[in-house]
Amino acid sequence: MDTLLSFRPLFDLFLIHLGFAYSQYIVLRAGAFSIGNVGLSAIGAYTAAILTVNYGLPLPVTLLAGALAGLAFGTLLAIPLARLRGVYQAIASLAFVQIVLSANLYAENVTGGAMGFSGIPKLVGTGTLLVFALGTIYVMLAISRSRLGRAFDAVREDEGMAVSLGINAARTQAIAYMISGLLAGLFGSLEALHSYAVEPNQFGFHLIIVILSYVVLGGRRSVWGPLVGVALLIALPEISRPLADARIMIYGLILMVVMNFMPRGIVDTLVARRARRRSRAANPEVRQAEVKG
Amino acid sequence: MLLTVTDLHASYSGIRALAGVSLNVAEGEMVALIGPNGAGKSTLLNCISGIVQPSAGQIRVEEAELVRRPAWAIARMGILQSPEGRQVLPNMSVLENLQVGANALHGRRPTHDLDAVFRLFPILQERQEQLAGSLSGGQQQMLAIGRALMGGPRLLLLDEPSLGLAPVIVQQVFEALAQLRRDGMTILLVEQNARKALQVSDRAYVIEHGHVVTEGPSRELAQDNSVMAHYLGTGGH
Repeated sequence: MDTLLSFRPLFDLFLIHLGFAYSQYIVLRAGAFSIGNVGLSAIGAYTAAILTVNYGLPLPVTLLAGALAGLAFGTLLAIPLARLRGVYQAIASLAFVQIVLSANLYAENVTGGAMGFSGIPKLVGTGTLLVFALGTIYVMLAISRSRLGRAFDAVREDEGMAVSLGINAARTQAIAYMISGLLAGLFGSLEALHSYAVEPNQFGFHLIIVILSYVVLGGRRSVWGPLVGVALLIALPEISRPLADARIMIYGLILMVVMNFMPRGIVDTLVARRARRRSRAANPEVRQAEVKG
Repeated sequence: MLLTVTDLHASYSGIRALAGVSLNVAEGEMVALIGPNGAGKSTLLNCISGIVQPSAGQIRVEEAELVRRPAWAIARMGILQSPEGRQVLPNMSVLENLQVGANALHGRRPTHDLDAVFRLFPILQERQEQLAGSLSGGQQQMLAIGRALMGGPRLLLLDEPSLGLAPVIVQQVFEALAQLRRDGMTILLVEQNARKALQVSDRAYVIEHGHVVTEGPSRELAQDNSVMAHYLGTGGH
């Protein structure tokens, strides 16, 4: 029992990062290459922290406010990003994360600046995190099976064709940004109310890489992709703890190996392989070369 | 008239592709656009579906002007194109491709459900779980047409449905088109295979160098040796 309890902080981290991973996943699924969700998590975290400590608002209100703040800024972010594509979109969204980081550093009297914002009561435990994580998975599955999910896929696969099929690509991606913002804000709030303190650099370049790794490693299309990615990358450093100094190296090595042999991520590659095997079995006259990807 | 195109001009990277084309399509009619490669047939179709912006002229569907409307809005009106070169979403399953097609409905009543598409193209039902990219060329063409049907077309635009297909598959595709015509679907068909196109359609326009050079009932054009010889070379096969 004691050993199980000792894994609880790790499990909490898993649940929070699962939410972050889905806020990243949903924009990638819709074919938008934005990493702005980390900035939106910061906005959610500071909103929840400030409302709790300075104004003494109850938990449901602060969580809602954090989520809505993420949603509002996510919606705003969608406007300039809709004009950009690919790597330009990524750079612009990275700039957004930097702006949020700088704002948190310089607005010292509100955010506590570089020292961070501390003295936050711990209002969120494993149970609350679990409820929100499961709720998020449920919503992701529902979206995935809906018309919206198929519109996301069509826009990602071929934007021009999606448009000719009656899909408003800009609007579809804007919806993805809004869902992403809502999730980022919500799980940012949960993080703040779970960990006693927040500081600006916590939502910086390091977190961008970590979250992007979850989704790229696990898969960008299947809802189970981010789950597998987060589980693996959170468990891995712990399992390899005896190797202490080599942990970061092992982390990097696994990413490189998976990217080379499973470029779509673990889950999506396995799903595609199964589909291809079925296609070959049903349709032997079609040459393997015709199957793309 | 369901579709009225008036004096349409369009240029593609500096080259004049359409130089004042006028044509119309009545409800329930199947009209073929034939003519040599580079005559402007595909450009005309792409102008109607909003993929290409014409430089002048009008395109009306009933009373609504299509020019300058975004392509997704035109698709939602039920003006649906099956693009040239069997364009499917290769990494999505056959079923998902068809379901994506229903996005164009946007509250309009469907004309074809999944079962109706599967009745028209039984092979798609057999292959519904497969990735669209793993289908043969002919099956991808059927999928592209089926996907357009899922969007409840009021006007179906077909761009070279026989391009690059084996004769036996061409036959299957044209049988499906004949079935759609019997069902009363309004179709504007672009084809290089003139003989086949004239067999299956009610009326036809012959286009060359961005102009309509002749038009008339398909049966008459098919018997007019000067049309077949002069504008269409051997007249297909």
